[in-house]
Amino acid sequence: MRNFLLSSLMLLALVACAAESGPPLVASNVVVTEPLPGRMMSAAYLTLTNNSDDAIRINRVSSPDFGAVELHESLLEDGVAKMRPVDALVIAPGSSVTLQQGGLHLMLMRKKTDAGSVSLNFYEDTTLLLGLEAQVSRRSE
Amino acid sequence: MNPKRFLIALLLGGALAAGVFVALKSSTPAEPRFATVLPAGGDLPEFSLLDQHGAPVNADSFRGQWDLVFFGFTHCPDICPTTLQTLANVRRELVASEADVVPRIVLVSVDPERDTPEILGRYVGYFGPDNLGITGDLEQLKRLTSGLGIYFEKVNIVEEDYGVDHSAAVLVVDPDGKFVALFSAPHSVGNYLHDLPIIAARN
Repeated sequence: MRNFLLSSLMLLALVACAAESGPPLVASNVVVTEPLPGRMMSAAYLTLTNNSDDAIRINRVSSPDFGAVELHESLLEDGVAKMRPVDALVIAPGSSVTLQQGGLHLMLMRKKTDAGSVSLNFYEDTTLLLGLEAQVSRRSE
Repeated sequence: MNPKRFLIALLLGGALAAGVFVALKSSTPAEPRFATVLPAGGDLPEFSLLDQHGAPVNADSFRGQWDLVFFGFTHCPDICPTTLQTLANVRRELVASEADVVPRIVLVSVDPERDTPEILGRYVGYFGPDNLGITGDLEQLKRLTSGLGIYFEKVNIVEEDYGVDHSAAVLVVDPDGKFVALFSAPHSVGNYLHDLPIIAARN
């Protein structure tokens, strides 16, 4: 029994170490909506989690599949829908930011290909923080 | 049955009948829970615009069916497609449940400069074959929007690029072409499924 406890503790410590040394910025629930017919633009939504001990700042997103990617926020003010550019996302240590419909989102502009997947690269200035590849999905509720 | 039991049965029966009566009475005039209803209903202003096939659209085009009317633009990647998808899902649910009233979905472009009938047609067609897209002359568009209390304004103009702020409400127009109710954003399928039959039954 004592051995079991000891090995469990060691295992826990190992898991904790693995988490500690994992990637600092992790993306989950990535959704890239397909551009509407005739439109060269679309939106991407995802959750970004900061697993590091320092704040992470994202101020540039790019994609080889689109001419430009901008960080935007949809707002609803007095019944009026507005969309505003956002300069940077700052994610505190251990916390997450969710980009979702009707809120923060990536606006993907000037589509270059009809590929079924899209690459997205997240930067602070010129430092690459995260690169990911996501399938393009049809819109649904 | 002894008289005492008879009396109790009578009282219970009476209470039950009263309960049913009250329940029936209170359930008949159901109220919309999410939409704002305009008691009198307003006429649409006079305007002349184009549909996605380039054919003329005016106030009379709104007669003959229920319409859900949204104002947006095709360069909008988030709010507009999300709202149209919600309305398309409302329609799908109503068709599936064989509802009496299945409204047409109408997108009025607040960006007629970029939204030609052809571009708008492909956009609204994505959300269903029966949808109506309206665009055309900016002055005519302003007659329609100002008459309905809909606001829009070009913003964030950077060279060729810009966005359009716009009212996010969805208007309900009845088969007489009268503006009878509106749903405010954020829009959800359940709100429409609950309220639309009630609004339709009042007409």
